[in-house]
Amino acid sequence: MIKQKTKNSGIFLILVGLLLLVVALNLSLGSVRIPLSEIFKALTGQPGIKDSWVYIVNNYRLPKIITAILAGMALSAAGLQMQTIFRNPLADPYILGINSGASLGVAIAVMGSSLAGGLFIPSLSIGGDLGLVGAASLGAGAVMGLILLVGRRVQNPTTLLILGLMFGLATGALVSLLIYFSEPEKVKAYSIWSYGAFNGVTWQQLKVLLPVVLFALGLLAFLPKGLNALLLGEDYAKTMGLNVSRLRFLILVSSSVLSGAVTAFCGPIGFIGVAVPHIARNVFKTSNHKLLIPAVILIGAIVAVSADLVAQMPGNQFVLPINVVTSLFGAPFVLWIVLKRNRGSTSFNV
Amino acid sequence: MDRSETQPGVDIVQRMKTPLLSTQDLKIGYTNGKSSHKVVASGLNLQLIEGEFVCLVGPNGAGKSTLLRTLTGLLPALEGDVLLDGKKLEQYTRKELANEISVVLTSPIEVGAMTVTELVAMGRFPFTGLFDRMSAKDWEIVHQSLELVGLKDFEKRMIHKLSDGERQKVMIARALAQEPRILVLDEPTAYLDLPGRVSIMNLMHELVVMHGKTVLTSTHDLDLAMRSADRFWLMSQQGEILQGAPEDLVLSGDFQRIFARDRISFDLMNGHFSVTGNSAGEVCLNGGGEVRVWTERALQRVGYSVNEDRDTCTGLRIDIAPDQSGYLWVLEEEGGTRQFGDLESLVKHLRALSFREN
Repeated sequence: MIKQKTKNSGIFLILVGLLLLVVALNLSLGSVRIPLSEIFKALTGQPGIKDSWVYIVNNYRLPKIITAILAGMALSAAGLQMQTIFRNPLADPYILGINSGASLGVAIAVMGSSLAGGLFIPSLSIGGDLGLVGAASLGAGAVMGLILLVGRRVQNPTTLLILGLMFGLATGALVSLLIYFSEPEKVKAYSIWSYGAFNGVTWQQLKVLLPVVLFALGLLAFLPKGLNALLLGEDYAKTMGLNVSRLRFLILVSSSVLSGAVTAFCGPIGFIGVAVPHIARNVFKTSNHKLLIPAVILIGAIVAVSADLVAQMPGNQFVLPINVVTSLFGAPFVLWIVLKRNRGSTSFNV
Repeated sequence: MDRSETQPGVDIVQRMKTPLLSTQDLKIGYTNGKSSHKVVASGLNLQLIEGEFVCLVGPNGAGKSTLLRTLTGLLPALEGDVLLDGKKLEQYTRKELANEISVVLTSPIEVGAMTVTELVAMGRFPFTGLFDRMSAKDWEIVHQSLELVGLKDFEKRMIHKLSDGERQKVMIARALAQEPRILVLDEPTAYLDLPGRVSIMNLMHELVVMHGKTVLTSTHDLDLAMRSADRFWLMSQQGEILQGAPEDLVLSGDFQRIFARDRISFDLMNGHFSVTGNSAGEVCLNGGGEVRVWTERALQRVGYSVNEDRDTCTGLRIDIAPDQSGYLWVLEEEGGTRQFGDLESLVKHLRALSFREN
């Protein structure tokens, strides 16, 4: 037991080191390469470095990295909760259409004003950031609530995925409808958002994103026991004296706020939520949420910052949409999970 | 004069007979939508007494799971009451109920990447706080529970690497770690091979006899259940439930009636079910001992019944003769005899014979 604990602490230390490494690389690399020593100067406000570098580090790379870290943590934590509550290894905000719900929320917030004659939130202004998060979270929560409602009776994991797919298509259709009736500039604002990026988020917006994500992650600190009980299914959880409906509600709030907030600011980002919990289970060889929650948060941050590093294509002027990178790496990963399952192992095996 | 008041021994018997769990005019079933019910059974007055082993048996689809789910508070009763220790079930909170009843459910759990100890420790959930901090006493109970099911050395093994039977024992250990007054199991042997079934049934029996637990389980393993249960709750397809010692239910004919099925009958002498196919004819069997028993079984398999009375026997004649390498079966036919070195060839011949006649 004690040996296992020291081993796990060791893994956590390595992961923290890895996070620091990718953060440092991400600060240094990009379309312009800035040496690490200069970055340190820029961060600590020392004189003697190029003004443009100070500007790039402080107003571009730093907020982008913080956003990536928050997004990675949030999506992975949401994915873990969903995989447990749906008892489905492929559940995550993207695959179950919960991101689409968030997108619909954003689309209504951004473009709905043309339909409802300006009754809605005043579009993408900074004052509307909280409203945007709210709209996205509500959209995410609505879809997840629906899936929870319908999906509770669904035993077959595949049926649940089809359910998510259908919800995703339906909300997508509603978004298309909104686009069809909207003014061109609003459509453009929406479509740029929908590519997904960590770099559009300003310090001002981080003031909204940071506390919202930390709140929802804080909520998660109270849930490991309940999530562990749910691993055995709702019936067992009930007979162990747990208030399952309250637990389900807390998970619903936590994961829709997490995926809603990130989607509102960064656009829909796929595959991080499904992949990271599996990586965490494989690294720590456990399904115990007391360990998995911190593990998933840390690994999620590493994965998101690394994905952004790849998206920057260091030494190149191009920047790929973040969703392209996560999908290119994530899709084969999901395929691997599906094939591994078909070889007869049960859902949460490592 | 009522003598029971003067005899302390009877008093103890009376107290023991106060049911721990009972039902009053209970109606069970499912609610579909707002107003429509699917009633599975009604008018149930059942008793579960402390320290007894009760097996709930009945044909598939009789509603055994529905009953168990209702008794454990997972499903609301449609009408009537479930009384636990004289108090209505719905007056207990989930947490209080978790202190009284723990369960093992049919469906295999789908969790890997978890050690046996971690899973059994979940049995302490009703007793640990919000952050699930386990005390030394909690761990002690976890270890004791594992010892009780005979998996003392399995603590660090991974759940998904155990056999089905071992995993089911771990689930029973988890239920025991909850320190319940009643252990309710829904077909714990359903997914197991025969040795696994025997082993789980023995374990439940042991928990009652040696450790004073109260166990209620549903099962399809009638033969095993009959050998270990104190009482049966015998549930019919129509939702009626008869209570009694298994042997009493057999002798009264209720057991046979409830399990009556085409071409399958309960053999009163052997205590198991047998297939009664269309008879292909009679055989007069000559020979004794274990060879005779197994020859009879082989003959029954192809539809022949053995006539015990040699004088009235009109069918085929088979003599069993010892041979230096084993046995020889000699079949008398019209126009001579035919010898068989093993039962396989004998059965093959008889099957061809009855095929030709039909």
